[in-house]
Amino acid sequence: MTEASKSSRAPDKLAFLLSLVPYLMDHERIGVAAVAAHFGVSATRVREAVNLIAVSGVPGETRQYQHGDLFDIQWDEFEDNDVIVLTHLVAIDDAPRFSAREAAALIAGLQYLSSLPENADQGAIASLMAKLTRGASATPSQLAVAKSESTDAITVIRAAVGNNVQVEFDYVNSRGGQEHRRVDPLRIESVDRDWYLRGWCHLREAVRTFRLDRMSALTATDAPSGDHGAGLTLPDTLFESTAEDLSVVIELPEPGLALIADYAPEFPVTHVGGERVRTTLRVAHFHGLKRLVTRLAGLVTVIEPAEARDTVARWAEEGAAQYDAPALPPAEA
Amino acid sequence: MAVEERLFSLVLALVATETGLTKAEVLSTVQGYRQRYQNGGDNSSLERQFERDKDDVRELGIPLETIEPPDDPGSNHNLRYRIPKGLYDLPSDITFTPDELMVLKLAAAVWREGSLSAESRRALTKLGSLGVESSDPVLGYAPSLRARESSFEPLSKAMDRGQVVAFRYLKPGETAPRRRRVAPHAVVLHDGRWHLFATDQDVAAKRTFLLSRIVGQVVTLPGQTFKQDGDGMGQQALAELDELWNASLAEVDVVPGSDAAVRLGKRQTSVATVGDRISLHYTDLNILADELAGFGPEVLVQSPPALRQAVISRLTGVRDAHDVQDPRGTS
Repeated sequence: MTEASKSSRAPDKLAFLLSLVPYLMDHERIGVAAVAAHFGVSATRVREAVNLIAVSGVPGETRQYQHGDLFDIQWDEFEDNDVIVLTHLVAIDDAPRFSAREAAALIAGLQYLSSLPENADQGAIASLMAKLTRGASATPSQLAVAKSESTDAITVIRAAVGNNVQVEFDYVNSRGGQEHRRVDPLRIESVDRDWYLRGWCHLREAVRTFRLDRMSALTATDAPSGDHGAGLTLPDTLFESTAEDLSVVIELPEPGLALIADYAPEFPVTHVGGERVRTTLRVAHFHGLKRLVTRLAGLVTVIEPAEARDTVARWAEEGAAQYDAPALPPAEA
Repeated sequence: MAVEERLFSLVLALVATETGLTKAEVLSTVQGYRQRYQNGGDNSSLERQFERDKDDVRELGIPLETIEPPDDPGSNHNLRYRIPKGLYDLPSDITFTPDELMVLKLAAAVWREGSLSAESRRALTKLGSLGVESSDPVLGYAPSLRARESSFEPLSKAMDRGQVVAFRYLKPGETAPRRRRVAPHAVVLHDGRWHLFATDQDVAAKRTFLLSRIVGQVVTLPGQTFKQDGDGMGQQALAELDELWNASLAEVDVVPGSDAAVRLGKRQTSVATVGDRISLHYTDLNILADELAGFGPEVLVQSPPALRQAVISRLTGVRDAHDVQDPRGTS
């Protein structure tokens, strides 16, 4: 860890110290483990904080940090029983306010949640946002998230996860074909406006990630989901590469790397002149790649293998060829 | 001594003082400074430390005030510092129920990375001091927001500090980036994309920028600050984007059963469809053109003509760049 990132954690530790004091004040006797669980931190971090608080205070009239100018705890209880009993308070006794950015981060998160069907209680969300605004020491930063259209699929899948039942749907794969899938839903995730179901696919007999907007004829079944609890951990990244995946070398301007971060996170980048760089993508097949590359037209060029270049070229060619004829109104269906 | 110990001692000392402490008093008496203070000596590095610490404390939302001496205004030497307890304490009537806390935890978890994630966690730490235990979280449910554009962090920081910034912007439809000097007012997510709402200083008018089209670094301009117009800028920006979105309509034909038919079909807002023609609202023609080009032969753009042309040029560009006869690429 660099020196800079080490010291940047000091404000977080300060926030913890300032929050811990009023909490301990409200709890006459409390175990270290209970405090750790409440704040979601390790017991070690709680003990460090208590050790620091217990020897801290104000300079006082003598400017010498005399005994009465310091916090105090029952040391025997702390050292023998891992229990915190605060016996003397100095200067602060209340929760600190939120900063403008802290309040803004939660408010924007609430705006995002409020666009989802299960958080339909707009009144409750509005009341929370008002409290955060009033509890901030300055006007919250102007971060805002627009309402997004929510789909019924979110509701169906969330209920299926909760009821532990399988779901069925037709799924368009990136080759363009449709397949009927039966899935034990494990988690429903979103990234910005895109929603994903992660679950055990009975067809593939493996954990798979599905885009909700590629599903049709989605239904929850009566069949219970299999028990995947203990043996199955979901990776943090949505898409995992496997040993069978194909490597594709692409070239793009360096600032464009952010746009493909989901696809090529761990591969080294080589500079090939100017702002242009090359990197390697791992893809299951070239049909997903052709869609990605044409979506990033003018930015990404596939270098090798030739088959990948060819797949991309044909996809773009077929798309472009439609326009060779002048635009006509479509025939009535 | 750990940094947080010095910061903690500074906050305690400045909350405890009614009248405020001068810089010399802070440096000579407060834990973490006094050990390094040289009476009558050169304390310039310690003074710089104090300046940085003040910034850190203020970033946490702690109201660290500077008071000018009434009999000696403008004197840097006799400035006094304090933290008024009334402004430090969370108002006592602000309370949260276990259900509300559960929703706030979910809202905090929306940010998975970056400084907003750290700030959300810090807000939860502060909420923890209230001692309320949250209701059980919803399992298997993880909504998240991302701001992958590198301009997001510097822009939102500059916005909070009221600093004018400059960046190179590749305006949709133009081929070369142009330098912009703007006063940032709001950063908003609309239709899945982050936008900056700002006053363009060179034309003295409000403009909206797409973060994904900012090229390279965002730099703050020394000494150029502005006063924020306050609350409501974010909502104003969203209202303007909504208006633009409503006014822009594209018509595309999709191949039945294809990826394009399934995905775009879910986005269409107009109920009146003829055959496989889909109507789509949009805010930025070039962004929609990128997306439609990705569908290749599954989509045929009918209107508007500029969108049709934009998709054609993307497809022919990709075709030509991947011509198998030219394996080194053409760019």
